[in-house]
Amino acid sequence: MTDNHTDCIPGPLDQMPARLETLLHIEKVGKEFPMNDGSTFVALKDFSLEIQNIKDKPQIVSLLGPSGSGKTTALRIIAGLDKPTSGCVLITNGEGQHLRPVRVGDVGVVFQRYPLFEDLNVLHNLIDPAVRSGMNKDEAKEKALRLLDEFDLVKQGLAWPLQLSGGQRQRVAILQQLMLDRHFIILDEPFSGLDPVNILNVIKLISNIAHQHTLNTFLIITHDVTSALIISDHLYLLGRERDKQGEPIQGSKVMKVYDLIAEGLAYRSDVEDLPRFVEIRKEIRLVEFPKL
Amino acid sequence: METSATSVATPPTNDSGYPLREMVRVYGAVGGFARSHIVIGWIVLFLLVWFFNPIKAMPYPSEVLRAFQRMWNAPGSSGLVYNVYVTLKLNIVGVLISSVLSLLISYLAVIPLFQPFNKFIQWLRYIPIVGFNLVFLTLFAIGWPMKVAMLTTGMSFFLVTSMTSVIASIPRMKYELARVLGYNDWHVFYSVVVRPTLPAMIDMIAQNAAMGWVMITAIETFNRTEGGIGSQIYAYTSTNQLAEVYAYLLIIGVIAVIEDGLLSLIKRVLFPYSLVAERA
Repeated sequence: MTDNHTDCIPGPLDQMPARLETLLHIEKVGKEFPMNDGSTFVALKDFSLEIQNIKDKPQIVSLLGPSGSGKTTALRIIAGLDKPTSGCVLITNGEGQHLRPVRVGDVGVVFQRYPLFEDLNVLHNLIDPAVRSGMNKDEAKEKALRLLDEFDLVKQGLAWPLQLSGGQRQRVAILQQLMLDRHFIILDEPFSGLDPVNILNVIKLISNIAHQHTLNTFLIITHDVTSALIISDHLYLLGRERDKQGEPIQGSKVMKVYDLIAEGLAYRSDVEDLPRFVEIRKEIRLVEFPKL
Repeated sequence: METSATSVATPPTNDSGYPLREMVRVYGAVGGFARSHIVIGWIVLFLLVWFFNPIKAMPYPSEVLRAFQRMWNAPGSSGLVYNVYVTLKLNIVGVLISSVLSLLISYLAVIPLFQPFNKFIQWLRYIPIVGFNLVFLTLFAIGWPMKVAMLTTGMSFFLVTSMTSVIASIPRMKYELARVLGYNDWHVFYSVVVRPTLPAMIDMIAQNAAMGWVMITAIETFNRTEGGIGSQIYAYTSTNQLAEVYAYLLIIGVIAVIEDGLLSLIKRVLFPYSLVAERA
């Protein structure tokens, strides 16, 4: 991949940005599922994560892990769709607000298969949620048309979701969340099943949207190491510890955190050319991932 | 007109280039021209069997035509028009009432309080409708009210089962999308459960309307005071006038196809995206 594809990301920082208040605080979250044989499956154990507001910058954090590492369970708990067995998830939705337990609807989620309301056309897929959240209908329509124009979807405005390509569906699903003026959005495997060119288009898209507001916080759930490294300012590796025999122990947690701002890899368009980028990618792929 | 009758989806397949071979291959690649020939072939086969059938229990087409003439000319309550009208009216009223009732019972199944009632209604489909005769006799007067009650009840048992399965097949992801978009319970109910399933509910009504015709003949046989196709079929069968019986069966077939087509048309006009969904 070449750097010209990532030119949407603003240039390197002159100095380390100040970290402001905490936007998301996850503390020692555990999640257990009862099994049919009476036993319990521990999906998450002591899962902790914190996202801080970075001054004048959006936050793009990736939760990286192999299949079965509990990423989806973590997503569902952070989104408020599932309750943790133990621990807590606290969130704040704006500057100056206090942290409070997350509720479903606080966090936007772009699900992996980009579900939409199939019985509504693209325009109404954007207007309907906004109107139901209390926005004036004319205002919602105006905003929807502006977003469709901005994201090159005007021609698809009256199309049914089933008539959209995968990439178009993904954009509509993201816009649906943006209609609600949310700053916190989780994207579940946004690079899954895409070819390299489209992966870079998605990276650009996410970066462009994130940079529209300093409070925007995107949590990307992925197993794509390269894409996560290109786009993120922080990278959390989710996985399971192993016992003495090398067998994985139930209950995933954050095994390692990469502060890509401190590494000098955040907000750079030339990031893939940097030796440290290559080193970290190699480290994750060859050393960290096999251990997870 | 394409009707709501279930058709087999054809996945992409490698065309061998030999139309005759494709006609007998699993998921063979047949175009519109070949497909129309297949249909014509079946019609010709049906007519050949009918014209030259060796089974004496099946009247010849000419006999059925003459039966039509006799029924058309028959006076008053034994005439064709009168009996078709009686049965058609019963069918339409039965389909309408059972559809409304079944939609209500099925949609309410998303509320836990109503789930046992829904399950009970579904279970009742195993009980023959004649098992309820005493109940109907006690509650309704013999004639039109009782026939409507029997048909509506009988159809609803099956409709509720079909409609509930439509609701059960809504992917969990759809509910979760609405939840993360901040929808409240009623918004989720309307936007995820009711609105998107209406086209499938029309399909269920079309399928069960066909079953209604089977019930109608039984109900009108049991309840012959007002006439109707069922009572006529019973009367003609008992006097061994098979040509008249087949004439009525043909009429039922034609009405059912028209009904199916109308429901399909309603679905496409009211829910145009359902056409896209079918093609997808």
